[in-house]
Amino acid sequence: MHIPDSFLSLPICTFMYVVSAFFLIWSWRKARATYPRSLAPLLAISSAFIFAAQMINFPITYGISGHLVGGTFLSMLLGPYAGILSMTIVLLMQALFFADGGIFTFGANVFNMAVIGGLSFFIVKLLAKNSEKSGWLYLGVFTASWFSVVLGALACGLQIGFSPFFSDAGGIAVTVPAMLFWHVLIGFGEAAITTTLTSQLHRLQPAVLSGLAILRGRQNEKIF
Amino acid sequence: MRRYFKALVLILVCLAVLIPFASNAPDGLEKVAEALKIEDNEPIWKGLMPDYTLPTIDDPYLSTLLAGIFGTLLVLFVAFILGTALTKLNKK
Repeated sequence: MHIPDSFLSLPICTFMYVVSAFFLIWSWRKARATYPRSLAPLLAISSAFIFAAQMINFPITYGISGHLVGGTFLSMLLGPYAGILSMTIVLLMQALFFADGGIFTFGANVFNMAVIGGLSFFIVKLLAKNSEKSGWLYLGVFTASWFSVVLGALACGLQIGFSPFFSDAGGIAVTVPAMLFWHVLIGFGEAAITTTLTSQLHRLQPAVLSGLAILRGRQNEKIF
Repeated sequence: MRRYFKALVLILVCLAVLIPFASNAPDGLEKVAEALKIEDNEPIWKGLMPDYTLPTIDDPYLSTLLAGIFGTLLVLFVAFILGTALTKLNKK
């Protein structure tokens, strides 16, 4: 879902930079107020894991592939605010060193994957908030990670559809349904991997899921 | 700190094992662009390792693996710096 530079017009790139900058400043402030000193190594290893995981494309069907985006998983490990910042670092390094995702489209990519991924935390919260049962948590994680991909694809479809390069092809009336169609499928891959990773960590190393502690309102306990 | 080091080794081993199985098929966005006959022009900025390969190494597996290890360590480093800066004011 990394948008290359040739896909978006300059006004849309600028607009998405502004929107993403707003969310990044917001999450920086929130994160600075929330997290203890010991967050740094967990933030580092989580980001590194997501970078590596994004390199492994898995085949879906009809000749397409998808890879884990990992926004929801990061938000379970780090909480929504540090999750957004962590994914932004991954995207920045991909754009700068690997030409995966453009420089001008960086704002749009941050919004589609980092911001939407991080905010999907609140879908988990909505479903699992009042339950200590892990079933609700896993259902929340599954739903949130599926939505994070589908909503990201919706945003991406709108961005490319409003750009003049896609107007000959039909604009948003074509790009949005096309993006949604593929990513409804890719979202199930994302959801399956995210739920597996989260449930295994929940079973084996629950202390690592500090996002979960934030979810349950226990971030003041010794969790990191 | 020891468990973070273990996690890093595990990540790199998984990467080395899984790279040959990674699919080369287009992803969702590339497929949409392909179907609408939108050309992905030569990027303005090619990066140092376009498509997660080192241009100087011919063997595709080794090239991708080294780019992947470099990227993972790079992200680890930058995220650690950011995490330290982020929590600088907090004493705990």
